[in-house]
This record gives sequence, C-alpha cells and structure tokens, in this order.
Amino acid sequence: MSALLDVIVLGAGPAGAAAAVEASRRGLKVLLVDEALSAGGQVYRVATGIRASKATPERAAGDALRAALAASHVDARFGHRVWQVERNTASFAVHAVHVSGPVTLTTRALIVAGGAVERHIPIDGWDRPGVIGLAGATVLLKAQCMLPGRHVVVAGAGPLLLAVAAGIIHGGGRVAAVVDLQPRMRWLRDWRSLASRPDLLARGARWMATLLGSRTPMLHASAVRRIEGNPVVSSVVVASLDAAGRLGAGTRERTIACDSVCLGFGLQPATDITRLLGAAHAFDAARGGWHVVTDQHQATSIAGLFVCGDAAGIAGAAAAPWSGRVAAAAVDRHLGRVSVAEALSATTPLHAARDRAARFGRAMTQVAEGGDGVIAAMAPGTPVCLCEQVSRATIDAAVDAGATTMSEVKSATRCGMGPCGGRLCEDAAARLIALRTGTSRDAVGMATGRPPLRPVALDQLAGDFDYDALPIAQPVPL
Amino acid sequence: MTRYDLAVVGGGIMGVTAALRAAAGGMRVMVVERGGIGSEATGVNAGTLSLQIKRVALMPYALRGHKWWHQAGDAVGFHRTGGYTLAFNAREQALLEERMRLKMEAGAPITFVSPAQVHAAEPALGDRVVAASYCAEDGHADSTRSGVYLRQLLRDAAIETREHAPVVGIDAGGAGFTVRTATSNIDATNVLLACGAWTKSVAAMLDVTLPIDVRVNTVTVTEKGPMLLHSAIGHATGLLTLKQKENGTFLIGGGWQGRGSPEAGRGDVVADTMLQNLRLARFALPALAGVRAVRAWTGFEAFVPDYYPLAGALPGVPGAFVLACVRGGYTIGPCIGPLMADLILGREPELPLFDPARVVKVPANAS
Amino acid sequence: MTSTDLRITDGVERGPRVSFQCDGREVEAHEGESLAAALWAGGIRTHAGLHEDGPPYRVLFCAMGVCQQCVVQVDGARVEACRVLVRAGLDVRTRT
Repeated sequence: MSALLDVIVLGAGPAGAAAAVEASRRGLKVLLVDEALSAGGQVYRVATGIRASKATPERAAGDALRAALAASHVDARFGHRVWQVERNTASFAVHAVHVSGPVTLTTRALIVAGGAVERHIPIDGWDRPGVIGLAGATVLLKAQCMLPGRHVVVAGAGPLLLAVAAGIIHGGGRVAAVVDLQPRMRWLRDWRSLASRPDLLARGARWMATLLGSRTPMLHASAVRRIEGNPVVSSVVVASLDAAGRLGAGTRERTIACDSVCLGFGLQPATDITRLLGAAHAFDAARGGWHVVTDQHQATSIAGLFVCGDAAGIAGAAAAPWSGRVAAAAVDRHLGRVSVAEALSATTPLHAARDRAARFGRAMTQVAEGGDGVIAAMAPGTPVCLCEQVSRATIDAAVDAGATTMSEVKSATRCGMGPCGGRLCEDAAARLIALRTGTSRDAVGMATGRPPLRPVALDQLAGDFDYDALPIAQPVPL
Repeated sequence: MTRYDLAVVGGGIMGVTAALRAAAGGMRVMVVERGGIGSEATGVNAGTLSLQIKRVALMPYALRGHKWWHQAGDAVGFHRTGGYTLAFNAREQALLEERMRLKMEAGAPITFVSPAQVHAAEPALGDRVVAASYCAEDGHADSTRSGVYLRQLLRDAAIETREHAPVVGIDAGGAGFTVRTATSNIDATNVLLACGAWTKSVAAMLDVTLPIDVRVNTVTVTEKGPMLLHSAIGHATGLLTLKQKENGTFLIGGGWQGRGSPEAGRGDVVADTMLQNLRLARFALPALAGVRAVRAWTGFEAFVPDYYPLAGALPGVPGAFVLACVRGGYTIGPCIGPLMADLILGREPELPLFDPARVVKVPANAS
Repeated sequence: MTSTDLRITDGVERGPRVSFQCDGREVEAHEGESLAAALWAGGIRTHAGLHEDGPPYRVLFCAMGVCQQCVVQVDGARVEACRVLVRAGLDVRTRT
C-alpha cells in the first residue's frame, strides 16, 4: 500500500484532468487515475491507429488538456481499472488492477470525475448487430476514423444525433434518415442558453447545413419502433409520435432500409462510484436523471468526497474543467490548507464561469429528454436487460407480483445482474416500473452500488498468493 | 381499528414461515417489513443448502428445513447437487474428520470420500485435496428469488403485509401491543420479532436488551463461465462455499467479513477480506483464474455469544416472542419458523426451541 | 463488405497494416486500432459471447468499455475488445 495522498482524482476527462492540474498547482499531492491509456475522457479521446487526420475542435481541446497535464506535476496513472473504492474514517482506499498486478491507493480526499453514460430506450431489435450507441458511434468516427455503416439510420434524441449524422456524411457514408424524438426546432426553445456559446451553436448549425446539403431525411417527433435484420440490421420501422408524445398503435409506420442504426437518448451521469460509497443521490431529468447531490463546491454528502463534471449532473464538456477546478479548491479547503474566506474569494469567479458554461450543456440535456411514449409502447418481448435477457414482459410481471422498487425487480428478474452492472438497462427498467406502479422515479429508486465497478478476472484480483499464508484462523463454530 | 392476533416484525424466511403457520392455526396475522419481503439476509445470502456446514445441535432442524426448500423446488431455483467439503492440509483434515463424524451422529447423511473419488466426480477441482466428505442431500437455491416466492405464499394465504414500513416503535400495554410505523399503527395481541440483524434494535423498543452482535458476510458472483462444477463445494473450516449455478455463474461465499451495520442501513464489501475469499475459491477451483467477478455484496447475520438461536418468549414481556440468530438460518428457517408459531398458538412444538432467557437478564422489577 | 469499406479515407493516414487471428480466421487491420472497431470493419459482426441460446453478442455497441457486449478472449484473457489495441499476431477467440 502506498503513502497517504492528499487527493486522488478518478477519471482523466476534461473535469478530472482540470481538477488534478488545479490541485497540483495548489501544492496538493495528487494522483490522477484512469483506465484509458491517455487523458481526455470519452469526449477528447485520443485517436489510435491513426497517424494523421483532419483537425477538429475536440482534438485541439484534447491536445491542450494533455499538454497541460504533461506540464503539471500531476502523477497520472493510466491503464488502472478501478474496481472498488472504500471509505475509512478520514480517508479513502482505491483498489485497482493494472497489468503489473493489484494496486491499492489511499487518500485523504477523493474527486470523482466519472463522466456520463449513454441513456438507452430498448426498442424491439435493439440487440441486433449493427445497432451501435450514438456515443459509441462518436468514438468510432472521432477516434477510429471509421463509419458505423455505409447507409445508416441515426435515431434517438439529443445533440449527438446531429454530430453523428454529419460525421457519417463527412466520412463518405450515407444517412438513410435522422429519427429525432423531439419536434422540429425543439432545441430553439432555450435559445438564450444556446446563444451563451456561439462557437458551439455555430458548430451545430454547420452540422445541420451538412444534413440539409446532403438532403438527408429528417424525421422529427418520430421514433424507431422496430429494428429488423437477420441477424445484422437491414431496416428499421419508424413511426411518428402524436401531440402528446405517444407512439400509438394507429400511427403510420414507414420502413427504412439501412445497414446500421446509431441509437441513443442522451447522457446520464455515471453514478457507480458514488453509489458504492453511499453518497446522497437525487433524480432530476434536467440533469440527466439520477445524479450525486453536490453543493456549490462540488462537495457530496460524504466528507472528503467531491464530484465534478457530468458525473455531478450533465452539464457538458465546456463546464467540466470549471467544476473540476472548483472541486480542487474545495479539497484544498477540506484539508484545512486555506481558510473558508480565502477559498471562497478565490473560487467565486470559478463558480460563475462554471455556471455560465453549464447553461449550454443543460439546454442540450433537455433536448434529450422525453421518450415516455416510446417506453410505454415497448413491445412485451423487447429485451431490456441484454446481459441477462430480461424482457419488458418479465419486468411487468415482477411488478404485478408485488415488486415496487428497482432493487426488488432486480432480485426478482435478474435485470441488471449481468456483467454491465445495469448501466445499459437500469434507467429503462426503472421507467417501466414507474409507469406500471404509477409512482415516481424517486419511489422506484436505484439499485445498490456493488463492487467490482467493472468485471475483473479472479487471477487479476487475487494476484499471486500462497495458500498456507491465507488467514484461515478461526473455523466456524461447531 | 383491526386488532391482529399476531404482528410479525420482519418479512424474511423466519417471519414469513411463522406467519404462515400462525395463520393456518387460525390467527389473524400481519407481517410488517422495513424493506421488501425476503430482501435482506433471506434474499442476499449465498443460497447454500448444505447439511455439512450446519451446527451439530441444529441438524434435526436443518434436515426439516432442507425438505421445505426441496419441495419449493423450481420456484426458488432449488438444486440437490450433492456437496463436497474439502481439506487441503493435515490440520484441515483433522478438523474435517472430527466435525463430520459428529454431524453424522446427529443424523446428517455424510460420508468420507477419498481425494481420488473427489477428482473423479469433479475433475476441475485442484489437486491438493487431502481429505473430503460428501453429502448427497447438499445443494443450493437461488436466494434472490426468495422474496418473490415468500410474497406469493403470503398472498395465497391471504396474510396482510406492510412492506417498506420500518417499525419506529412498539407500545406494550393493556391487552397487547401497538406496532408503529411511519405511516400506520398495527394493534396486535402478540408480537413476534423476527427481524434478523434488526432484532436488537426492535427488542430495545420493548426495553429488552438482547446481546446480539452482527456479522457482515460477503458473497461474490462471477459472470457465466464454462460448466465446470456440479456439486456444492465447502471447506473444512467453513470459510468457503462455492457453487456453479445453472446459468453458469459461480457463487463464492464463506462468511468473510465486510463492514457496516443494520443501524447505518448498509453493509460494504471490504476488498482485503473479499480477496482472501476469492483466493480460497481460486485455490479450490483453479479454472476460476480467468473468470471475471461481476458483483460482490454483503448480508447481515445476527448472532448471540453461544451462536445458538433465540427462539421463544421475549423475557419479561408477556405476548412478545423472538426468533433470530439462527446460524444457517436460510436452511433452518422454514423448520424453526413454524415451530415458533406453534409456541405462539399454545401448542407444543415438535422440536424444542431455544429459550432467549438463557442470554437475557430480566430486571428484578419486570413482570 | 470488404475491410476497407468502413474506414474513412479522406484526409486520414493510418498506422501500419497488420493481421491477427480471430477464431482461426485472419483479419486485416491497422496497428493501434481498437480491436472492436477492427473486428467490425473486418466484417466480424457477432460472436457467441456468454449466451448458450438467445441472440448473438455484438463486437461493437458502446465502444467505451461499458456494455460488455464485445468481451472476447485475447491471448487467453477475457477483455473488452473496445479496450484492446490491435497489434500483429493477436490471438482472438470469441468462444469460451
């Protein structure tokens, strides 16, 4: 076990990297940990297998982030798969596996910058090969310079729809249709927030121009009902929503041929580590759903635990570095190194910058909201939990038999018990439970966080050991 | 307001099987549960139904409880697989031989088998087995399905339940008790405290101090792996349970200690102890090396210093009863729950119970 | 579909061409690509995964280590294909 650190930052995306650099600048002994092999997170992920490609704003931002990190005194540990985080009296222990073996790190304060995971709404056939997450398609386009297909339907909700569709066209592919849950121009509803970032707004406008220029069919207030193929995707069936957002049986359907479907319904905060630690969480659709509760200083309900970036509620990549720096300042104060007044005066401009930058991200989060009509119309046989092959019908039956919470449905159906730990299905399952019980997402709750945070092979966890040295002292009572 | 003959505090295997027997005996019963039915120890234990790990004095109860699970069958994922208990060195062999002999005398159908026999039956087990015992009755059930099954039994018997209703107080007086939850009061002539790890704090509501302590047992499950193991595997010390479920996942337990408390409402896995548990499992079954662990959790197990059950009248409080601290409670519950109800019904239980008075000092001025 | 179909060519210069084995089949890719992307572009779209019955697993879905759909055996260890970088001679097996 290593010496006690001042702070460990989990996640080297824009929030975590900024937090680590700021903490280091303040003279704290800081360690930055990520499973990836370089910093940037998903949004600024470094391209691999590519020697040269066209410049993008993301690459420039990612390169700047990596340069700032390299110029700092931050001790960055990449390739570390964190599987357990424990809270002790006045410290935290982070357990990870690395190619060199198991690693345990201890720290007085912890900053979690776990980012976001994509939200999915299960659709009949969404388990077919050729269906790729929208966020995954972004990674494929940006980090691999690769198309998801040659003739792609891009469907769901949120800003990634435009980004992915335009990326496919720029890359030489065709977009068979963009199927957007939101009505046309929904994103203009909060134009003031969008106008706060003219650069990002202009980028969205360029994506839109690409789609218009290529005459890509844009289907608004619409959703994919079914994905067909044998087994690889060959077409989708699309229907339009009525004025109330319902996907009724009577709605007109159309079939669109394609060789891939990019599907996603916005981002939700990664809560796995904060759930594991038992921090307070709250549900708020405007922040992407369940998220850890943080105060103005990114502090959680647990002393010494801070969360920044999208993990604290979706606010976007622009706000992430600011919230990271706020968290680092708060750690400085938590460790008693600066007075409250001094910390406050130093961080107020950071708070303001963070809150300003978050307006754009929050507006984008709202663009990804909705989908209750798609949830309600989900066919009974649709697999919700892909790992354990749990269908909507099975979840509904468990609710009818008396289960009312996510944890109870998990026990009754195995929904969320597979290797992905419910990251793909829990949101949809909870929505189905809330719908059938007529209760709120708060009442349905979240499943309890469990280690390992990611699946880890037993030999990696166990490391080398000598049987005779195992602490097998006291047998159970006879 | 309805007056119940019996309010059962705790909807686990103990409380539910007691409620079923009491209702069958003519009582009007209410089960009140802080979470969901069967969601604590009953639903999160490793599902081991092994006679080899039961205490000698509890063997008759375990044999009966085992039959109940067997009859529940597919609904609880019951599998009678047979089970091997392994010793890897001379010390463990001595322990195994001494313990299993006593369990055989107590009626468990256990035999000693040679390492060659173990290897022939379970070739995937490591080659360092020096001694082993076998019990054909051993097996396992899927504990996560307990809640669904128990809830259905209660529904079928038309027993009322209040779920997600933690008890905040119990008033004793006059003709009975008022069990208070945040949203309602339940009036009952008798109360049965069958609330596992929470029994100490609920008994305190009746001013009775029970010397209960709590273990925080860790269980780990892996992803699906190739089918390698047919039997339930144990260790001479009792510090390993290992089985492969029908779906291919491996379930690893053995009572390694996590951290937390029922009062805090959560138990946490402690990496250091969990890893020792996994090392032991990996030693027993080398092919586990490349299999990925996907989830580990803890469950609370209440015990008193002598590790025998509290099953009988709550000392000093007429009409109140307690059923808790049963080591091997998942197996034994469906036997001892009904016996407990027999006592409350005024019948003579078929097997003796375990009077809590042995561990409780009743104040001199108590009735 | 040929392996070049999905790789964007306009303005992109890739790493050296390498090949590796997947279930005994030779797959062409570029050094440093994510294994999941390389399988996808190489026309390997599904694998048996852990289901004995039921639909096949995908080699590519979340592309960021979350969904666990792309977990395969690489040089003996079960890993997410989207977290493995291709190098010459990888031994990839999709059946356990």
